[in-house]
Amino acid sequence: MSGTVTGPSLAVTEASRPGGIQRRRRSAAGGVNRRPGFLVYGLLLAVILGSAFPLYWSFLIGSYDATVVNKDLPPIWPGGHFFENAARVFDAVPFWVALGNSVFVSTVVACSVTFFSTLAGYAFAKLRFRGRTGAMVFIVATMAVPTQLGVIPLFIVMSRLGLTDSLWPVILPALVNAFGVFFMRQYLVDAIPDELIEAARVDGCSMIRTFWHVALPAARPAAAILWLFTFMATWTDFFWPLIVLPADKPTVQLALQQLQSGYYVDYSLVLAGVTLASLPLLALFVVAGRHLVSGIMQGAVKG
Amino acid sequence: MTTATPAAAGTRRHRGGPGGARPPETEPEAMTFRRRLNRWDVKASPYLYIAPFFLLFLVFGLVPLGYTAYVSVHEWNLLSGKGEFVGLENYRDVLGDRYFWKALQNTISIFVLSSLPQVLLALGIAALLDANLRGKTWWRMGVLVPFVIAPVAAALIFGNLFGDRYGLINEGLQAVGLEPIRWHVDRLASHLAIATMVNWRWTGYNALIFLAAMQAIPRDVYEAAAIDGASKLRQFFSVTLPMLRPTVIFVVVTSTIGGLQIFAEPRMFDAGGLGGSDRQYQTITMYLWELGWRVRNLGTASAVAWLLFGLIVLVALVNLLLIRRLGRGGGGSR
Amino acid sequence: MDHHSPTPRRRTRLTAAGALVLAAALSACSASTGDEQDTGEEGTTTLTVATFNEFGYEGLFEEYEAANPGIQIKHKKSGTAPDHQDNLYTKLAAGSGLSDIEAVEVDWLAALVEQSDQFVDLSDPELEGRWLDWKVEAATTDDGKLIGYGTDIGPEAICYRADLFEKAGLPTDRDEVATLFPTWDEYFDVGRDFVAEVPDTAWFDSTGGIAQAMVNQVEYSFEDADNNVIAAENPEVKEIFETVNEQAAAGLSTKTPQWSEDWAKAFQNDGFATMPCPGWMLGVIEGNASGVDGWDVANVFPGGGGNWGGSYLTVPTQSAHPEEAKALAAWLTAPEQQLKAFESKGTFPSQVEALDDPALTGATEEFFNDAPVGQILADRAEAVELAPHKGPKWGDIHTAWQQAIQRVDQGQESIDEAWQSFLADLDRIS
Repeated sequence: MSGTVTGPSLAVTEASRPGGIQRRRRSAAGGVNRRPGFLVYGLLLAVILGSAFPLYWSFLIGSYDATVVNKDLPPIWPGGHFFENAARVFDAVPFWVALGNSVFVSTVVACSVTFFSTLAGYAFAKLRFRGRTGAMVFIVATMAVPTQLGVIPLFIVMSRLGLTDSLWPVILPALVNAFGVFFMRQYLVDAIPDELIEAARVDGCSMIRTFWHVALPAARPAAAILWLFTFMATWTDFFWPLIVLPADKPTVQLALQQLQSGYYVDYSLVLAGVTLASLPLLALFVVAGRHLVSGIMQGAVKG
Repeated sequence: MTTATPAAAGTRRHRGGPGGARPPETEPEAMTFRRRLNRWDVKASPYLYIAPFFLLFLVFGLVPLGYTAYVSVHEWNLLSGKGEFVGLENYRDVLGDRYFWKALQNTISIFVLSSLPQVLLALGIAALLDANLRGKTWWRMGVLVPFVIAPVAAALIFGNLFGDRYGLINEGLQAVGLEPIRWHVDRLASHLAIATMVNWRWTGYNALIFLAAMQAIPRDVYEAAAIDGASKLRQFFSVTLPMLRPTVIFVVVTSTIGGLQIFAEPRMFDAGGLGGSDRQYQTITMYLWELGWRVRNLGTASAVAWLLFGLIVLVALVNLLLIRRLGRGGGGSR
Repeated sequence: MDHHSPTPRRRTRLTAAGALVLAAALSACSASTGDEQDTGEEGTTTLTVATFNEFGYEGLFEEYEAANPGIQIKHKKSGTAPDHQDNLYTKLAAGSGLSDIEAVEVDWLAALVEQSDQFVDLSDPELEGRWLDWKVEAATTDDGKLIGYGTDIGPEAICYRADLFEKAGLPTDRDEVATLFPTWDEYFDVGRDFVAEVPDTAWFDSTGGIAQAMVNQVEYSFEDADNNVIAAENPEVKEIFETVNEQAAAGLSTKTPQWSEDWAKAFQNDGFATMPCPGWMLGVIEGNASGVDGWDVANVFPGGGGNWGGSYLTVPTQSAHPEEAKALAAWLTAPEQQLKAFESKGTFPSQVEALDDPALTGATEEFFNDAPVGQILADRAEAVELAPHKGPKWGDIHTAWQQAIQRVDQGQESIDEAWQSFLADLDRIS
């Protein structure tokens, strides 16, 4: 899309021609596709600075030695010790093992949650069946019970199932959750035009093929977000993994916590670890962000 | 009704109905079997699709819920285990504890200070991100960075900012001649500080949820509005917001649930973990935690869990009604 | 845009996800059978040991394994004590999942002594007299069952800023300082002199810290021998409460809660001149006060001696190998091993023999002006006369007490008001 801006009059003439809307999108004339002004960028910059400064601060402290944390004013430019501290992180705790475990657990859970939430969300949003409303309300209501006390019975269940020496206890209970189902349902309710589903059904698609060819593509932006959010939530989960995982299979958060051992905490080490632990997530951001694409369903209903 | 009926406006080549358009008389046996299969497909699929959630919930979700309910009607010490059945006595004890009511006030105060601005800010930020920016991905993902910061780092940073005596914010205030604020002592100040921490972490998250929904709005609706002479702001209120209704409902409900269950941020605001010397910022979940793991009275802790559940359902319903009423101006009901 | 085009990519991704899950299932299945069993090859027993902070056991495990070929040791390290405690409590409640040896801190030992049926009796006539009396007492039930072997202790001396002492005209040499305040009254008197000379600096680091030091010297403070709550009536408790708050009002305290950000920053800002320091606090001071010159340690503690902290090794009855675990715990807490842990991580031994060992008595700390900390702390350990009795509610009452002191520090309540609200909290606890 080019960056040229044309006035509204041109927009009117363009739209009145047949096929004009497609033409407009390609040439980025006026209206919707005009590039935003400085105000927008300025506001966003402020938001991004506010969001990202703690990450920079973690990196900053992680690049000095331990004593800098107690100084009144933090330094502005990084010291030279980041790689040194990072190396110490890898020595102090089994960071690679923890990273591997976290990547594995988070990926499995995110894929599972996204798929099954889309499936269930689609059913609640577009299919009619008895008990639909009641079931949806029930699912949302389950989110309202605090989960802190649940660790005890859940641990007993895992223990009885004989799973306490593996990664399964942090995977199984998380494979599909109410948040995901509710989220996909709300998204799909408007995002899939009913006509599209009928067209597929009338064309002879079975229910599952309809889901595969209509619902899944329509769900892409929301599915990308849900996948990312679930991955991050699993990645940053702490208490349940602490209780249930064996000592030789830690996740990243457990490894980070081990860096805090000792009565005097070496915060340069800890924050270097924190910075390292956030890098895989930041990489994922870029991947998932590409899927936040607008206009997925446009053109699908036409013609 | 289990079949999708064709919309009146649709122009279709075939006659409506599942399966096919050929009259059934020409191939009786194959048709009946296929039709039966099809009908079964339509009837059973919804239940199959939602089954994974309910199956997992049966094993891993119902057990904790049932356990919490069961424990709440017994005398139950964390370490020595089950005592005798006491009915609703635990609930009465909790409701008679002044620290429960204090925690309740704190929770609602922090909730209002955090969830309300959060949803509004998230909407605004999403609208900004929806624009045709250069380097879209970086801007959009930049708002999510707070989420990757481990709580220990966040606690350290905000502790440094909000220190009563040596904190950066107070030093700034003093530099311009204002009085320092006692963030860890004054109740409202502590709520503001905690709400800031919560908002910092979750606003970007909610903004992206809104953004995903905005991506599903067809662009031609905006173009039509633009042709009609609507400004960007007007477009936002007349086009975007009404079409975002289901998502707004989602965000309001989930941030209600999350906001009333706030636990991590107030807990790490001071070293004691009890919400201040006078419990100025102890939330209900912190109170629950204290009862369960420090006082070790699991019975009352479970009672608190269910009382909190009741509160959340109440507040969520109120919020839903508010949204319905506010949204009645434009857009249908969902 | 054709709605079919994203499908192939989605399909490959989902198939990949499916394959991943399948692979995961297969690998997890193979991992969980076999090598995690306790008796894998020919009768090797695996013992798990759970600790927190730094116990200094790393090299010791290899030593024990070499000397005992049938034993394999797995170490579960928790970064912080609260996390370890939450884990311990949760698994006691769940009835399974504990390690063969669980480390326990003295602060929460009382709750576990109350649940003595969940721990193996570790009494052993051969180990009689190994530890300081007051250390063993805390881990012994009324009917003589011993549920924990002592590891380290936290005997307190007084750490001080010699440079600030000089400013106030006080002696700076540690032997001289040691004569200045053998009692609390004298400690506070010298403190008042100090703040008169150096008005911007407080005398001690925290009101609550001094209160805790004082109450730990009272045998029956919050509870009596039968664990009835006597905190409200006990004149000693009220007296300590009033004394520390009055001294704080006179400017002797920084009025910051211990372990808060402001407390940590006070080290860098000449916030205070003295503080009670057990062995493990030395590292904290060194870290918080890095770049500050003038710290030293005096061989004195008001009231004679005091102990703050210390841990034990327990063997839960959940353990599948109680005998082997007991043997390992006994070995780890022997004087020789504790000394090695001391050399590694500074955990001060609670074993009587270790206190005379030259490795201990010769230890010095450079940051503290090369003070002979080993000897000082050994002397202080022997000066401790009694183990304060801590029943099951002691921790909760102490927390409420500390919160009341903080409220006075923060100006929210007067001393009398705070005492009254403490009494109200007592009603709630008992």
